[in-house]
Amino acid sequence: MSLLEIENVTRRFGGLVAVDDVTTRVEAGELVGLIGPNGAGKTTLFNLISGFTALTSGAVRFKGAAIDGSKPHVIAARGMSRTFQNLRVFPNMSVFDNVSVGSVGAMGQSAFAAVFGRRGRSDAISARTWEALERVGLAEQSEELAANLSYGKRKYLEIARALAMRPDLLILDEPAAGLNDSETAELARFIRTLNDDGLAVMLVEHDMNLVMGICSRVVVLASGRKIADAEPAVVRADPAVLEAYLGVDE
Amino acid sequence: MSEITRKGWVVPVLLLVLVFAVAPFTLAQFGKGYFFQVANLVLIFSLLAVSLHLVTGVAGLLHLGHAAFYGIGAYVAALMGTDLKLGFLWGLPAAGLVAALFALVVALPTMRLVSIYFAVATLAIGQMINTVLLNWVAVTKGPNGVMLFSGIKLFGFAVKGPLAVYFVVAVVVVASIWVLHRLSHSYYGNALRSLREDDQCADAMGIDTVRLKIEVFTLSAFFAGLAGALWAYTTGYVSPGDFNFSNSILILAMVVVGGLGSLPGAIVGAVLLILLPEVLRGLGDLRNVMVGLVMFVSILFLPKGLFGEVSALAFVRRNLGVKWGAAPSEREVGWR
Ligand SMILES: Nc1ncnc2c1ncn2[C@@H]1O[C@H](COP(=O)(O)OP(=O)(O)OP(=O)(O)O)[C@@H](O)[C@H]1O
Ligand SMILES: [Mg+2]
Repeated sequence: MSLLEIENVTRRFGGLVAVDDVTTRVEAGELVGLIGPNGAGKTTLFNLISGFTALTSGAVRFKGAAIDGSKPHVIAARGMSRTFQNLRVFPNMSVFDNVSVGSVGAMGQSAFAAVFGRRGRSDAISARTWEALERVGLAEQSEELAANLSYGKRKYLEIARALAMRPDLLILDEPAAGLNDSETAELARFIRTLNDDGLAVMLVEHDMNLVMGICSRVVVLASGRKIADAEPAVVRADPAVLEAYLGVDE
Repeated sequence: MSEITRKGWVVPVLLLVLVFAVAPFTLAQFGKGYFFQVANLVLIFSLLAVSLHLVTGVAGLLHLGHAAFYGIGAYVAALMGTDLKLGFLWGLPAAGLVAALFALVVALPTMRLVSIYFAVATLAIGQMINTVLLNWVAVTKGPNGVMLFSGIKLFGFAVKGPLAVYFVVAVVVVASIWVLHRLSHSYYGNALRSLREDDQCADAMGIDTVRLKIEVFTLSAFFAGLAGALWAYTTGYVSPGDFNFSNSILILAMVVVGGLGSLPGAIVGAVLLILLPEVLRGLGDLRNVMVGLVMFVSILFLPKGLFGEVSALAFVRRNLGVKWGAAPSEREVGWR
């Protein structure tokens, strides 16, 4: 059983087939890259996996259980957390409070427990939040409003919030978008360390060096169809991939 | 902040002394029932503002019908007291529960609506409830309103005199605001804030956004209902005009002037917008213009409110003993 199984997944928007009969999987502890030209359907596939968009047909299983048709929060609570292509943090909340939402989302706190509960639960949520903040190196800025962080820091904030959920699978939609070369290299190293600690990661990226450098397997989409699914070296030499990228300079 | 206020109990004790000793003692010096009426009004509207703060300031749902749930509570308490002869100890919880029940029924279909549509839906609900209060004469006595002469009785003892009534109101309001404070200043409160910031994103964090919105709307209506019962028992008279749209807007103005998302701000707003018209009574009709002017100027120069969310959260964390100060270092950013 793979961690995530995507089977013959299709999504139509009117006449447009954004994702067309895609089958692939993510094993526990794997680091998979998902690439493809603009409009290939990468984000749509992520939305299908995480429950933000309904499937037209096909099936998605996570840890052996069908999750297609489940609401995003249900899928998230099962251990899949994601970031968004267009960086989404909670701007008017502090860095700490941002990340705490990931902790409380995964651990839960009822209204009753918030009022009358004992300290233990809140302390556990706090501890988990600190752990995620330390992990991305934002502990020092914990009191800063998210809106006041630099763009690069906000990217890490978004990842910290996802990590606070202690997911089994982390899906990142273009984590390096908008970062310069050295920032991208640093982020690649960071994602690598997350994966070294056993976290399965699936990431969409336009930066080829990043994808080819850290991923153990690369899935290529073009016009909604999967055209390659192999190790980076194989994908790099694949004529179908080269053709899909012709004239579409990333 | 000095070391002493960091202890976490100093500010709460000061607030309690203010509400239960300084204020009533000062008011008693004047010996006039009118001053106690104003004090009760300040307390009741503080509760209304803080309960709306949870929905609009924290969870970000623009609610334009809060006064209707306040009205439901007032009528439930008044009608139970007159028609059923069930006094304060029955009327108070019943007022809260019935208001909450109405809110739950309203919330189930409306919570999936997006921002502005939700606001219009709450406006419509508020108008509907008010129209029912006005026109269902057989039960609500229509525009004549309901007289409630029985006064507050606690376990067979009549609570007599303005000072005693003030204490009852203060106990209910302080206890309610304490609950709302715990909801607002906790990780539950952080989850609510995430709804305001980006509810899709909150969904991706494992938060059941629709359920949470329904929950907070219902809880808030419960406390508005309690405020209604307090109003019914302190004034002895309820009529539809006290719970119309302009009252919803008044409560909303308190929350906004005080600072959206700030619980202490909501109280500041309520105190200001209740006391100001009383202080300016001498000006006659001009006082409403003055009140409007104060609101306008404060929003113009302090759009984040008199006691904005950021400083309010820092204040609460430092002074109300809810900070999480354990390792690493003595940071004061979490919730207990
Ligand atoms: N909600 C929607 N309604 C209609 N069409 C959509 C919708 N979402 C995506 N599409 C279309 O589906 C196709 C795939 O879009 P998608 O965002 O998945 O591409 P992508 O691979 O993530 O591209 P990029 O690299 O630019 O982010 C595009 O043609 C897009 O216009
Ligand atoms: Mg995309």
